Amino acid sequence: MSRKIILWVSVAVLCAYIAIALCAPLLTPYSPTEITGAALQSPGAGHPLGTNDLGQDIFSQLVYGARITLLFGFCSALLAVLISTSVGIVIGYYGGLLDEIVSRAIDIFMPIPMFPLLIVLTAFFSPGVLQISLLMGILGSIYGIRIIRAQVLSIAQTNFVEGARAIGASDFHIMSRHILPNVMPVVMMKFVSSSQRMLVMGVGLSFIGLWDTTTVDWGTMIQNSYTSGGMALGLWWWLLPPGIAVIGISLALALIGYSFEEKFNPRVGVNRI
Amino acid sequence: MNLISIEDLSVRFSTRSECIRAVETVNLDIARGDHVALIGESGCGKTVLGMAVMGLLPKNARIGGAVRYREHDIIQAAEPDIQRIRGKEIAMIMQNSANTLNPVKTVGSQIAEPLLIHQILPAKAAHAEAVRLLAAMRFDEPERAAERYPHEFSGGMRERILVAIALACQPDVVIADEPTSGLDAGVKSQILVLLKQQMADRTLFLITHDMGTAYFLCTRIAVMYAGEIVEIGSTHDLLSMPMHPYTQGLLASLPSAGLHPIPGMSPSPAYLPEGCRFCARCPAATDRCSTCHPPLNDVSGTRQVRCFCYD
Repeated sequence: MSRKIILWVSVAVLCAYIAIALCAPLLTPYSPTEITGAALQSPGAGHPLGTNDLGQDIFSQLVYGARITLLFGFCSALLAVLISTSVGIVIGYYGGLLDEIVSRAIDIFMPIPMFPLLIVLTAFFSPGVLQISLLMGILGSIYGIRIIRAQVLSIAQTNFVEGARAIGASDFHIMSRHILPNVMPVVMMKFVSSSQRMLVMGVGLSFIGLWDTTTVDWGTMIQNSYTSGGMALGLWWWLLPPGIAVIGISLALALIGYSFEEKFNPRVGVNRI
Repeated sequence: MNLISIEDLSVRFSTRSECIRAVETVNLDIARGDHVALIGESGCGKTVLGMAVMGLLPKNARIGGAVRYREHDIIQAAEPDIQRIRGKEIAMIMQNSANTLNPVKTVGSQIAEPLLIHQILPAKAAHAEAVRLLAAMRFDEPERAAERYPHEFSGGMRERILVAIALACQPDVVIADEPTSGLDAGVKSQILVLLKQQMADRTLFLITHDMGTAYFLCTRIAVMYAGEIVEIGSTHDLLSMPMHPYTQGLLASLPSAGLHPIPGMSPSPAYLPEGCRFCARCPAATDRCSTCHPPLNDVSGTRQVRCFCYD
């Protein structure tokens, strides 16, 4: 029961974040890049979280920042999961030479730590946010391919796959209608956990200042407050809100991930008889 | 006119160190409307033979001979061609009902699946047909049963679901591999009665180790031993007057005949003896049996035996 409450609270938090990102213009009168008045104002009327060193409204930045941060996390995770699911199912189901080649390639890429690699790649090519998201999706799929492949290997041995063949199902039908639903719990968990990872990594990259600094997201906000003296001056309303926002969404996604297994696997369900 | 004819079918599996001869030069004709049982103990190759008829042998199998169905040779045909036949014209009731159903799909959707794959009915009508089939399989509340998952059913119910899946496309031929294994006597007879009704105007190829099941469902019995057919005859002839010593031994080992087991074990399919494969366990074996391999001889028009006793 308490698990259920945790799940619903986390889902509510996630929905709130998404709603805030979608309704940003309704929540604040300022654009996040607009210079609205004096610099470094304390929280007060008109500026609930004060202004930064350029006189931009911090609350507006926080609200609009949710858009880039969330979109980045979900897009990268979606791409990663799409790649790892489709590749994992195909190589796990057919096996043979293709499987051997892909698996060995994964063995080579696996030990390379993703975040440092991303830092190097973005520092060299200074790509846009979209390209970074693509890159992270591809790099992030590597580990997932392994997990899905391992699942598919055991599922492909089961009698119901043989049974599906016996009713005339094609390989594609078996992969999409029989194997996919059975790996779906893992895929969903993988999606939630990698959106959390990708989101935090995106914040990390922008905090280091490796992507377009004119985009407003939580990472650049933290970076600005850090480099422009917000931290030294003790302006907590500049530094803490984006930090807490990141912690909140990342916690919610993690908890949803933990609760998902029960939801998606009918055999684990306790109240379904 | 034969609907299915198995011609000199051999199936071998090569491992690194040995060659497993699972099925060897099997010839069997099944006419339209015929109900044929293949009887043998575990590991004699009967399931492999069933899989061969479905064209479902694993990739590492080395196959010789042919399985003819209408104008097709199932062994040689291209996979998409057999896919069109499988489930639609030749359906299979698989062994081990517990794992043959997909655990994450509702029973109704699994019964409707062959109808959708072969594009016989649109989705809605297929679901309605699934409910009708469940009703025909004597489910009390077919609409509710269709919405449930396999783990919510008992073994006997799952077996009936498998029968429903096999019959969904109204196939001409049904291959049933141990349809009643693991079921208690009451449930078993229920399934058998159901199968008998459903098979009335279909062709049945039953794979079983159980004489009673074969006697109840089939008009003809083929006895398989160590990958070979050792005796074929009509159910009545074969059971009332078994000719091959192995068939005699099988009947004597039934509880009703006093439980006299055949001494010894059947040979490993990797190390088959040169002569008669039953030689080591045969009470009537002679010197000739251990050196020469007996052919399958015609005894009468409908009866064939692989034994030197009937030369």
